[in-house]
Amino acid sequence: MSRLLHPAAVAALAVAAALIVGLLLAGLAGADPLTTVSALVEGMLGTPYAIGESLNGVAVLMLVAAGFVIAYRAGLVNVGGEGQLCAGGIAATAIGTGLPAGTPAFVALPAVLVAAAAAGFAWAAVPAALRAWRGTSEIITTLLLNFVGLALVTLMVHEEGLLRQPVTSSETLPQSAPLVEGAHLPELGLSRSPATVGIVVAVVALVAVGILLRHTGTGLRLTALGHAPEAAARLGVPVARTRFLALGGAGAFAGVAGGMLVATAPYVLAEGFTSGYGFSGLVVGLLARGSMTALAAVAVLLGFLVSGGINLQLVAGVPATTVSIVESLIILFIAGSAAWAARRRAALRAPAPRPAATQAETVGAER
Amino acid sequence: MTLLTQILVSGIGFALPLLVAAVGELVSERAGALNLSLEGMMLSGAFTAVLGAVTTGSPWLGALAGILGGLLLGAAQAVLSVRALADQIVVGIAANALALAATTFGARLLLADRGQEVPAFDRIAIPVLHDIPVVGPALFGQTPLGWVCVLVVVVTAVLLGPRTGRGLRIDATGEDAVAADRTGLPVRRVRALCILLTSAMAGLAGAQLALSEVRAFSDNMTAGIGYLAVVAVIAGRWRATGTVLAAVLFGLAQALQYALPALGVAVPPAVLTMIPYVIAVVAVSGLAGSSRAPSCLTVPFARA
Amino acid sequence: MGALLELQGLGKRYGAVDALHDVTLSVSAGTVHCVLGENGAGKSTLCNLVNGGVRATTGSMAVREEAYTPGSPADALRRGVAMVHQHFSLIPTMTVQQNLQLVRRTGLRERLDRIADEFGLTVDTGRRVADLPVGARQKVEIVKALVPDPDLVLLDEPTGVLDVAEIDALIGTCQAIAGSGRAVVLVTHKLGEVSRVADAATVLRHGTVVGGGRLSEVPVPRLLSLMLGRDAAEIDADTAGAVGLTPAPRARFVPSASPSVPETTLTARNVPPASPSDPGTTPTARNVPSASPSDPATTLTARNVPSVPPADPATTLTARNVRSGASDASGPTTGPALSVRGLAVHHTDGTAALDAADLDLRAGEITGIAGVEGNGQSELVRVLSGALRPSAGSVRLGDADITSATPAVRTRLGLGVVPEDRHHEAMVGELSVAENLFLGDLARFRRRGLVQRAAMDAAATRVIEEYAIRAAGPRAEMRSLSGGNQQKVVLARELAIDGLSVLVAAQPTRGLDVGAVASVLARLREAADRGVAVLVVSSEVGELLTVCDRILVSYRGRLLGPVDAADPTAADRVGSLMTGTAA
Repeated sequence: MSRLLHPAAVAALAVAAALIVGLLLAGLAGADPLTTVSALVEGMLGTPYAIGESLNGVAVLMLVAAGFVIAYRAGLVNVGGEGQLCAGGIAATAIGTGLPAGTPAFVALPAVLVAAAAAGFAWAAVPAALRAWRGTSEIITTLLLNFVGLALVTLMVHEEGLLRQPVTSSETLPQSAPLVEGAHLPELGLSRSPATVGIVVAVVALVAVGILLRHTGTGLRLTALGHAPEAAARLGVPVARTRFLALGGAGAFAGVAGGMLVATAPYVLAEGFTSGYGFSGLVVGLLARGSMTALAAVAVLLGFLVSGGINLQLVAGVPATTVSIVESLIILFIAGSAAWAARRRAALRAPAPRPAATQAETVGAER
Repeated sequence: MTLLTQILVSGIGFALPLLVAAVGELVSERAGALNLSLEGMMLSGAFTAVLGAVTTGSPWLGALAGILGGLLLGAAQAVLSVRALADQIVVGIAANALALAATTFGARLLLADRGQEVPAFDRIAIPVLHDIPVVGPALFGQTPLGWVCVLVVVVTAVLLGPRTGRGLRIDATGEDAVAADRTGLPVRRVRALCILLTSAMAGLAGAQLALSEVRAFSDNMTAGIGYLAVVAVIAGRWRATGTVLAAVLFGLAQALQYALPALGVAVPPAVLTMIPYVIAVVAVSGLAGSSRAPSCLTVPFARA
Repeated sequence: MGALLELQGLGKRYGAVDALHDVTLSVSAGTVHCVLGENGAGKSTLCNLVNGGVRATTGSMAVREEAYTPGSPADALRRGVAMVHQHFSLIPTMTVQQNLQLVRRTGLRERLDRIADEFGLTVDTGRRVADLPVGARQKVEIVKALVPDPDLVLLDEPTGVLDVAEIDALIGTCQAIAGSGRAVVLVTHKLGEVSRVADAATVLRHGTVVGGGRLSEVPVPRLLSLMLGRDAAEIDADTAGAVGLTPAPRARFVPSASPSVPETTLTARNVPPASPSDPGTTPTARNVPSASPSDPATTLTARNVPSVPPADPATTLTARNVRSGASDASGPTTGPALSVRGLAVHHTDGTAALDAADLDLRAGEITGIAGVEGNGQSELVRVLSGALRPSAGSVRLGDADITSATPAVRTRLGLGVVPEDRHHEAMVGELSVAENLFLGDLARFRRRGLVQRAAMDAAATRVIEEYAIRAAGPRAEMRSLSGGNQQKVVLARELAIDGLSVLVAAQPTRGLDVGAVASVLARLREAADRGVAVLVVSSEVGELLTVCDRILVSYRGRLLGPVDAADPTAADRVGSLMTGTAA
């Protein structure tokens, strides 16, 4: 029985349960299970185009989630992915449309991505500083700045003085001018696939984060800080500075992801370009529970499901929202059962002696 | 109607659902539970309200259905966060996505061919009071459901205020759940009940939006009001008066957004959108006055 | 009258480990029943079971002869079982009134008046709990437990944070509660208090009952041996301190003479004398608990135990006394190793936690700070470790001013600290033993940016062997170790600091079983022997008298004393300083 409590088993069961619900819903919409599944799978893996699109999405999820995990190790919850994506996207667009047209790729691309990272860091810096030096809850401040970031994008793409493309007629869309060609993320060159090097960048980043957390002094210090801030301070960890850098770093990762989104076809900044990746990335980060392999697995699952959904609607006539429903259910089921299973595993272990403090460790309580 | 009156009317129109949801969320947060799923609860409420009204032909039964719609999501949040100790933020975000997808799916399935004739509430102009210049129509021209909302807000604030016995228990649960448990308070039950109350009020807010204001259902019609309600609680520093004030302010800001072009002011609407959130950041950072969230907010309780 | 509370074969198992097994005891109404056991014996688990915090895995409980299976503290309260918690049951940000209202709203005032009449307990209802000193907080806890008119009041180690006067008051309260026909269960490891207040006692050891009975039938020395599992004759000063028995002061080491006969006799403050037929043990190297044979069967209270000179001088050789000139305790060649001047720390409401404290620590000397919790000693330690910034004053380590130095700098300069709150400040439970040992010193194991785990594990294994730490290995999670072993790891880490010149140990033996206590104290002595200036902060006076050269007393934020530990009247002088009466 305890074998079933292993995190991977629990997750698998959760996914299965959600899929069953999805099939039922598809049935309500008039499609039988076989059609549904085949349309889904075909949509996810059937064409190189779909796979390529999905991989680009997976890359974004991985980056946001990796950044999230770094901050989470230090005990900080970065809910601000959306806003940081926006900041990154805005900075990338500003640089990417501002550079001269013939800028070579090896100048334009790094410039754009570095700007995006810096913008993401800066966007997270305010909540990070507030948390590090004033103890203000970063859950709340990063959440709030999401909406400010989204509004900022709207502002940017509606105002000609800012990032809006030149208005030539009343039908000119509120979006930015396209980025110079040098700033486009190079495609992997797979035939008929829009997959970019983004996925390579993301995987490399993931590996780097894994090594950082497990094999470096910084990773150990982050872990210590997240578990026992007072002991970490005692043992020489500069608490405030580390917290600031951890949350800022999470912002930088999300910023880069935002830059990558803009540097992918159609290479413009438009409202809603974040498509909820900020929140989905957070979910991936939390469900991964610190394991980079789990992170990759969940990111791939969620990333590919989206493509599957589109095809589902096209082919089987099942609304794409079905897939969103299944996704949400997967998350809810995993979240619910993971916590429950963790507690059951802990119950089998003798309890540690009770410390002399209460459970008030989060919001506003600065140690 | 003068422009100012129009702004006030639509401002209060935005503010009322916001207020109901925010006051409901305040109760949960005082108990230590953060419901990011408030948005989803409101949207579910709006959908089921319209569905109920269209199916039964009665707006009142629709409103009831709206409350039940909110409760459905609230039950999920309560079970997952309180019983299974799942992370409240993940559950909140996922629940919102679920509600958005489910209501869109449901609307396609069940509301597509019902036309736009949704039995809704009509505004009642209270004699004399309605004619007060400027503020009359805004304050005294609500629909019956709108008055129900006001009533619910007042009753909640009075019955569960921090000085009442129940209010004290709720605050204790959110401040220090371990101590509360040892005092004999049923921490999990208190939190679960608070979440259910919040979701019922959010459902009511959704019903108000759908049946009194917009008078129809459209995909993602709440468009962030739920998050704004959570923000109102933060900006209001977890106190009832602050929350009410913040909710009204935010409602007016929303209305102003649409009225600005008519006023000839060149401020981009997006700037106005940002204002509530910036206010909240300032409020919570303690840069202006002091702010303290309930210490156990978002921390799941388990007797170790 | 039948038993009020009855436990039959009660047991609690966690995974493969039995925290408690076969616990059978019976508490009658109108009595004070003590549950005795050293740290680690299972007392907290027992409290949790009776209080409804956890469910038993075997056995049964009954209240008033009806089955009792509480699933929560609320269930326990409904059956009339109330617990006085040490820390967790009051909401700090609320007022006393609000906290009490959580238990009962209507008729609270009348209830409080009744409690004041019946037990003499009054509390200031308007104050915020967070602003109350610890002793006052506990009073509120007791009143809160009495408000619902319980039949049984369970107190879990209540006296650790109280001063002498407050302990007296508490004992009086317990007797009053029992006198009113209710029952009191007092869980403690302080033997001294037991004989003052208990009608009956049960002794726990290794998770099960090893003996007990009415105090009129089972004398205290027997309880002592049951608790420790060894003969009373073999109990040394360190062990005695661990169970709340105060040794009489020992003579100071005299450098010139040969180890002369400093006679130290362990007298339990409250040990009724051995029966006259007990010939007294033959002199051994260990302290002998004995009392004047001419004083049979006198009930002794904490105050009137004379410090009895033994019939024949038993030579006491403790590690300290045997040191022949290893360190020159009288005239250090350089200045003090650590020097504190005018240190002040203020609470948020403006009152002083530390008030112009001065302190000098000399190399090779062990200085103790006695005092009941809440008198500023915790703040002093936190300022020394760098966790707290003082509002005024300075701290110098040797020649360097470290008043605002970070903990990392302090460690580098040779200051080691064993913090009071082990679980939060001294160790990271989720990390391994090796990681805890070397977190502050990772550069040692770093090559090309990566931490060399193998090297770290090997170094950790060496430490584990040297300090005889019981752990599954260097990768074992810190929180899987017992309290005593955790403390050994912490000590090992601090003692290994390069160039260690000062070691500050706050409540180093709190919560440790007797064996671990001895080991920790031995390490402290060792450190002093090699020239480290040691500061020990402890609420156990007996422990301080055993191990320190001189003792200061922390009282209302000031440091009073010093008292020479070798002085025959040291114990009394320390005691009176702790209550604020002039030395």
